[in-house]
Amino acid sequence: MSKGYHSLGDEIVSGSVPVAASSDRVLQFQDSFSNPGSGSQGGANGSSTGSGWQSYFNAVSYRPYFNVDTADVVERIRDSLFPFKGDFVEKTSHNPDMYGPFWICSTLVFVTAALGNFAAFLSAQSGSWHYDVNKVSWAAFMFYGYVAVIPLGLYFVLKYLGVVSGLVQLWCLYGYSLFVFIPASFLCVVPWDIMRWAVVGVAAVMSAGFLAINIRSHVKTASERWFLIVTSSAALQLGLALVVKLYFFTYFYHDSLVHV
Amino acid sequence: MSGMNNIDHNTSSQSDIDEIESLFHISVQPAALEVPRSVPPARKPSSPPRIPVSAPLLPPSFVSSSNQAFSTPVQSGPTPSTGAGFGGGPQYNTLTEPVRETLKRDLLRVATNLKDVVLPNPYREDPGKALRDWDLWGPFFFIIFLALTLSYSATENKSKVFAVVFATLSAGAIVLTLNVQLLGGSIIFFQSLSVLGYCLFPLDVSALVCQVNNTKLFRSLVVLVALAWSSWAAYPFVSTAVPSSRKALAVYPVLLLYITVGFLVLAND
Repeated sequence: MSKGYHSLGDEIVSGSVPVAASSDRVLQFQDSFSNPGSGSQGGANGSSTGSGWQSYFNAVSYRPYFNVDTADVVERIRDSLFPFKGDFVEKTSHNPDMYGPFWICSTLVFVTAALGNFAAFLSAQSGSWHYDVNKVSWAAFMFYGYVAVIPLGLYFVLKYLGVVSGLVQLWCLYGYSLFVFIPASFLCVVPWDIMRWAVVGVAAVMSAGFLAINIRSHVKTASERWFLIVTSSAALQLGLALVVKLYFFTYFYHDSLVHV
Repeated sequence: MSGMNNIDHNTSSQSDIDEIESLFHISVQPAALEVPRSVPPARKPSSPPRIPVSAPLLPPSFVSSSNQAFSTPVQSGPTPSTGAGFGGGPQYNTLTEPVRETLKRDLLRVATNLKDVVLPNPYREDPGKALRDWDLWGPFFFIIFLALTLSYSATENKSKVFAVVFATLSAGAIVLTLNVQLLGGSIIFFQSLSVLGYCLFPLDVSALVCQVNNTKLFRSLVVLVALAWSSWAAYPFVSTAVPSSRKALAVYPVLLLYITVGFLVLAND
């Protein structure tokens, strides 16, 4: 009976579908799976490898952007904390990763929401504190939205000005620039407002400085308006830090809980 | 021969009644490997065999023997199964069995999987090996139970707490599985969801225990212990799924998810 099925299939294929076309398509699928790195040459934006629109929905086709080891991620984080050389983009241009940005953002969402609530708890009189579950959703919206949208805008601006830049590299840069807010959030738990402002200020300057130096070294030679681009992206980063401080970590240690 | 069974499945309930009768014949004469080809004479029409709960589907003289007929083909049967369900077993058998058999089997599977994944067993043959007989009922129950418990004990925004917990857990499990796949590991998607869901069991227990006593210190201790237990249960599965140079990259998000859930349990008031 199985023989009968085979013969049925053969008749249909040989009659209507030319054999050459189907085998080409098969080969193309195999190639796209065996060379996952072919679509991620330096400067390439996040486009597909292989056959058209279907690869956007396949997890395997995004593997080139997660091709990092633990040591790589730790080294990139360390680079983001000491932003004196401007070579982060060049160092990661051959292998920009999305692991760092995504998980740094997720960690930030959790850390700011949790520690913001904890800071409120420490500053409040006993009995007047309630867990604010809105913080989680607002934190997610803020951080994911910032890291997703601002590099996209920057990418379009740079493309308009004619500078060569990859979208995934920009995402990578912005993601790692947010890492310094994680230790800053831990330090902001202390219920002393001056210290909170100082910690957030230092973190904001470090993060914006990292961003500014790297974008400057990337853009300076290619366009005259680099100063404007650099300062506006740094200003946006400082704005984000300000919003984080005001929303999550501002509580006055008075009789009643006052939230600005 | 299997083609004959295929054709049988697609017709009316009369053929289902015929199948039950043929099963009965098989159990009585185990040497007969073939389904009898001739159609038996028309039986007395009764309620459709797919709803065995309300009315007895066979005449009372058949009831006790038909129960035995259902049990023996599963164990020893020459069962010409055409397709396997999630946990194995021939399709027509599970369609026509009583609901309590189905529930019993599913509950037994949940308990077995729980024992394999979560309970400490120093004689496990390979802690990194995934569940052989995975299912999604267990994880579903645990997620719903945790979300319900936390939402019940919240003083304000109850529905929002439920939504946040449920969304965090389900999206978190999916994202963790995708993370392992993207880092180059090879795991089956639903199997990983299953393991991550079962590892939530200690946090369920801790949420229940925290209802009893409301002091911060007690809750912190309980949540900490449950967190350590969950992470310990999930660690072998995740760490063996990726290349060893990326183990920390795969394990860290799991810890993050369970710490998030632990914090939600702890901060609930």
